[in-house]
Order: sequence, then structure tokens, then C-alpha cells
Amino acid sequence: MIEIKNLIKTYNIGGQTIKAVDNVSLMIEKGDLVSIVGHSGSGKTTLLSLIGGLTMPASGSVIIDGIDIWSMGDDKLSEFRNKKISFIYQFSSLIPTLTVLENVMLPTAFGSHDENAEEYAKKLLDTVGLKDKMTSYPSQLSGGQQRRVAIARAFINKPEIILADEPTGDLDEETEKEILSLFHSMNREKNITFVIVTHDKEIANQAKRKLKMGNGSIKEL
Amino acid sequence: MMKKFTLFSLALKNLKRKPLRTSILVIAIGLLVSAFVFALSFVRRVDSSIKITSERLGADLLIVPTGSRGAAEDVLLENEVKSFYMDKGIVERVKKIKGVDELTYQTYLVTITGACCDVPESIVIAFNQDTDFIIKPWLNKKLGRRLQKGEAIVGSESAFNIRIGLTEVDSVLFGNMFKMVGVLDKTGTGLDNAIFIDDENIADIVRGGKANIKSGQISLIFAKIKKGHDPYKVAGEIEDSIIEVDAVARKDIGKNIINTLRDINRIFSITVILASILSVFLVWAVFSAIANERAKEIGIMRAIGAKEYHVVRLFFLEVLVIGSIGSIIGIISGTVLSLLMAKSFTILKNLAADLNTVERVFIATLSFLIGTVVCVAGALSPIQRIKKLEPLLAIKEE
Ligand SMILES: Nc1ncnc2c1ncn2[C@@H]1O[C@H](COP(=O)(O)OP(=O)(O)OP(=O)(O)O)[C@@H](O)[C@H]1O
Ligand SMILES: [Mg+2]
Repeated sequence: MIEIKNLIKTYNIGGQTIKAVDNVSLMIEKGDLVSIVGHSGSGKTTLLSLIGGLTMPASGSVIIDGIDIWSMGDDKLSEFRNKKISFIYQFSSLIPTLTVLENVMLPTAFGSHDENAEEYAKKLLDTVGLKDKMTSYPSQLSGGQQRRVAIARAFINKPEIILADEPTGDLDEETEKEILSLFHSMNREKNITFVIVTHDKEIANQAKRKLKMGNGSIKEL
Repeated sequence: MMKKFTLFSLALKNLKRKPLRTSILVIAIGLLVSAFVFALSFVRRVDSSIKITSERLGADLLIVPTGSRGAAEDVLLENEVKSFYMDKGIVERVKKIKGVDELTYQTYLVTITGACCDVPESIVIAFNQDTDFIIKPWLNKKLGRRLQKGEAIVGSESAFNIRIGLTEVDSVLFGNMFKMVGVLDKTGTGLDNAIFIDDENIADIVRGGKANIKSGQISLIFAKIKKGHDPYKVAGEIEDSIIEVDAVARKDIGKNIINTLRDINRIFSITVILASILSVFLVWAVFSAIANERAKEIGIMRAIGAKEYHVVRLFFLEVLVIGSIGSIIGIISGTVLSLLMAKSFTILKNLAADLNTVERVFIATLSFLIGTVVCVAGALSPIQRIKKLEPLLAIKEE
């Protein structure tokens, strides 16, 4: 379960303070599938990053399964990012020197070694339709293909929570549907909690719970 | 396709990304290390030559004609061919000085090159077999008897120079025929380059007139000191009462060379220190650039679970690969350089002692450490900076 209490994140630009996330409180149950919509610049990526432990809040807390993640030391927080939570980025996020398969397997290099990691990585690549691109490098892929590699990578360490920031941004309708059905089946079968930021009404409507952000605040739809 | 994905393989891939930049760093470290190896080999070699010589000579005092101390050291330490003379009567006067125990004297003669059947220019040491304690240990070991008149025995290096083997050959020295009866073992001193004869032969040589020597002359005196006497005091007393000589205590043999060496040493040290600082800056600059270039990647790795320690390890692996390859190249080229230079540096060419394996290994190890430490020192602050990057900010960087 994710508990967010009075979360505030501010940025300073040229002497002005912007509240990117403004006093957000929120509970997300385990196994939920939540969508977040909102205008560009409303604070969606910032909120997701706060939950994922990628950026430090100005105040407030993110409590996951009873532990305040920002009270953990760097080692524990890194472990948490490695095992418990996965992030699918709005931005391209692959390592250019590594092949597609190596990119998918990269999280296993920072955790305990799993004998079956390679098998699982191949299976995930198959699921996202990139079985024949395993030995390609990111620069040899299209934007949508890169996105799918990142999606496959998000599942490699069998996380409990997946935070997806516009995961289907540059995918065609067909592929988008496949990715969505993957998310839904993972949610159903493995009880993985999903928080999906999207501009796509269809995706938002398929979620179990819909939220909307505006000016750093959040409300239920 | 590797089964287990390791940080080391990632580090290697990173190094291959910019081969030119990696090679420049490796070469820079290689140059630094080779300068270090060269300087250290030089200094150690001169140092050990002096130590070996003063130990092996087995005398507490060296007594030479006033002003000839440098020449004597050149002969004993550097195998130079020089002659200098004083009156033989001085031997008796030195004997009378309080504290002097045994003593023996030697006469140095320089062979003349060019004439038929003569050996190439080298030094012939005529020594007194009745009093000698310098050559005797080596002579006993090899020949087991006294040298007869008309016989000569040669030092190990000198044997090589005049190309005589273990067989007996006759050679002409100063117009007189000598039978070469053997080759002494290597002593590691300047004596290795000499040819030894008994001083009975001097009378004949003087008569022949082919050597630049008059009768009744000797070159230097070696003295032992009685127990309980201070060699420096005895040396002072000798110099005070016999103005024709300089007396050098065993510990001071080679002091002139050591002083010169100290200056060379200083120059080498400054050069190596400056080169190290330069290399640290170079590594720092390169790794700062690398840190900037890879900010996004590091952010991604942090976001998918890399700990600060993983980031540090990844970069250190790269640094260590550069440091080790550079150091190994440096050690090899520095050693080759010092061997090549040994042939053209007068001070090294003539040194009796060479470095042994232990010393070479020591120098190599130390140089390896220097190379790696310089790399690590340069990369430290960029690595510290990059491991603290906030993942979100780093990822958004393009
Ligand atoms: N590093 C930063 N420095 C300053 N301001 C920032 C920074 N990152 C984000 N912001 C500001 O915070 C606000 C929220 O940004 P955020 O990226 O969360 O928006 P978003 O809802 O994800 O938008 P989009 O839909 O376009 O991705 C924006 O006004 C943005 O300008
Ligand atoms: Mg966003």
C-alpha cells in the first residue's frame, strides 16, 4: 500500500518558487490500477518521481508498506528502487552501450543474481514484440521500440509497484493495446500495483481508479 | 552473449566508447610511470654500486695523493681508467700513525692502446701480495696460489673486454709479455675492469719506459683501523701529519658521487612530481567530462537500483583498467629505456653493480602503485560528484 501525506515539491527558477506538487495526500491500495491525467506541467511526472524515490520532497512523506521511503538511507532506497518498484519513463531511458537484452537485464546487475534472469528477459522481450531485436543497440531502434524495451526492463525484477509515465506515448494503436493488456494481465495475475500517467482518455477510462492533476493538486475523477 | 551481466564488462564497454580518449589517458600514465621507473632505476643503481664497493673493498681507510680522491673513486666505483701517483715512502709514514692496523698499497697503470698485441685501454693494478687483503679473497678462490712474476689475472668484465676465455693466453702489457692465468669472479666493483699483476713486475715496466710511471711510486693505500679507533679521527690525523695525502673513511667512499647523485635525484623527483600533478589534472579533466556525458546513464542506473557504491565501483573499474594498462606499458618502456640509456649515460655505463631482480620487482611494484594512485586521485572528485546526482534530474538531461 502506498500512503502519501501532505507531499510538497518545490522548484526555484529565477528567484520564483514553483510548487510542482502542492500538498498532495493520497492512498493507493495494493493491486490497484490508477490512472493520472492532467495538463502538461501540472506535476504528474514530479509526483510519480516522488513516489518512486527519484527526487526528494520538500516536505511530507511517502509511506510504502509502512516504511517512509525518504527516511531510508541511500543503500536501502536503492534496493527499494531495484526490487520493489519500477519506473517507466516519459523520456528515453536506455543505456546506449548495452544491447537490448543487456538493457533489460541491467537491474539484475545491481541486485542479487538470478539464474533465470536471462530466460525471463527474453520472455519479456517476446511479450513486447522485440524478440528479434535482442542483440540490437538502442540507437538502432525506433522511439516506440525503445519505449517497449524500457517496459520489458520494468518487469525484470518482478516489482510490486510499477509507475508508468506516459508509457504508450509514441506507440501505434495496435502496440498500445498490447502493452495495456500486458499491464492489465500483470495487475490481475501478479497483483502488481500500477500508477499510469497518461494523456490518453481510453487508457484512463480502463483504469480501476482515475485521478486528475492540476497545478500540483490532485483530485478524484 | 554473456550469461551474467557484470559491472566489469560494462566498464570495458565504456572504455571502448572513446578509444582515442582512453588511449591518450593510457599513454599519459605510461609516460609518467616510465619516467618514474627510469629515474628510480638510475638512482638505485648508483646507490647500490657505491654500497657494494665500499663494503667489498674490506678497508677502513683509503689513502690517496692529495687531490686524487675523485680519480680514485672513479676507478673503484665507475671503472674509469685513471692514474695518479705518490711516493712509496708514504706507506711507512702512514704505518706510524696511531690507530692504523694493517695496510697495503696498489699501483695503477694505464695500458696504451693501438700498439700491436696490446690489450685495449684498461687499468692494470700492481698489488703487493705480501700485505694485500683486497684482492686476496678473490685470488684464493680462483687461483689458490700466489701470482708469479710475469703472470696476470683479469677481472670478470675486463676478461670480456679483452676477449680472453678461460684458456691461458699471453698478452703484451707495456712491452712485457704476460701470461693470463685466469679470470676473477665478479666483485661488483670497479676492480672487475682491471688486470692484476704482482708489484714485482713494476721494475721491468719502468725499465721498458712504456708506462707513465717512475720507480718508487704507488697510487693508493688501503688501511685497516685497530679496534676501538674512530676511522674519521685516524683519517684526520693522517691528513694532518702527511700533507701529501688525502684519507677517506670507508663510509665516505663515493661521497662525491652521492652528492652529484643527490642533485640528479632532486631533478628527477621534481620532474616526476610535476608529471604526476599534470597527470592527476589530466585524469580529472577527462573524468569530469565523462561524468557530464554519462550523467543521464548514471541517473538511469540509480533509478533502477544502482547504489552509490555501484556507481563508484563502475567508475573505479574504468580508472583501474586505465591505470593498470598505463602502468604496465610504463614499466616495460621505462625498463627498456633505462637499459638503453645505461649504455650512453657515462655514470651508468661505468657503474659496477647492476640492479638485481628483487630491486627491479620493487621498482616495478612501486611504479605500478604510482600509476594507479595518480589515476584514482584524478578521478576521485568527478566520481564523488556523479554518485550524488539526483536520479530524476540526471534522467531528464539530454
Ligand atoms: N528541474 C526542474 N526545475 C524547475 N522546474 C521544474 C523542474 N522539473 C519540473 N519543473 C516544473 O514543475 C512543474 C511540473 O512538472 P512535471 O514534469 O511534473 O509536469 P508533467 O505534469 O509531468 O507535465 P507533462 O505532461 O508535460 O509531462 C512544471 O511547471 C515544470 O516547469
Ligand atoms: Mg511529465
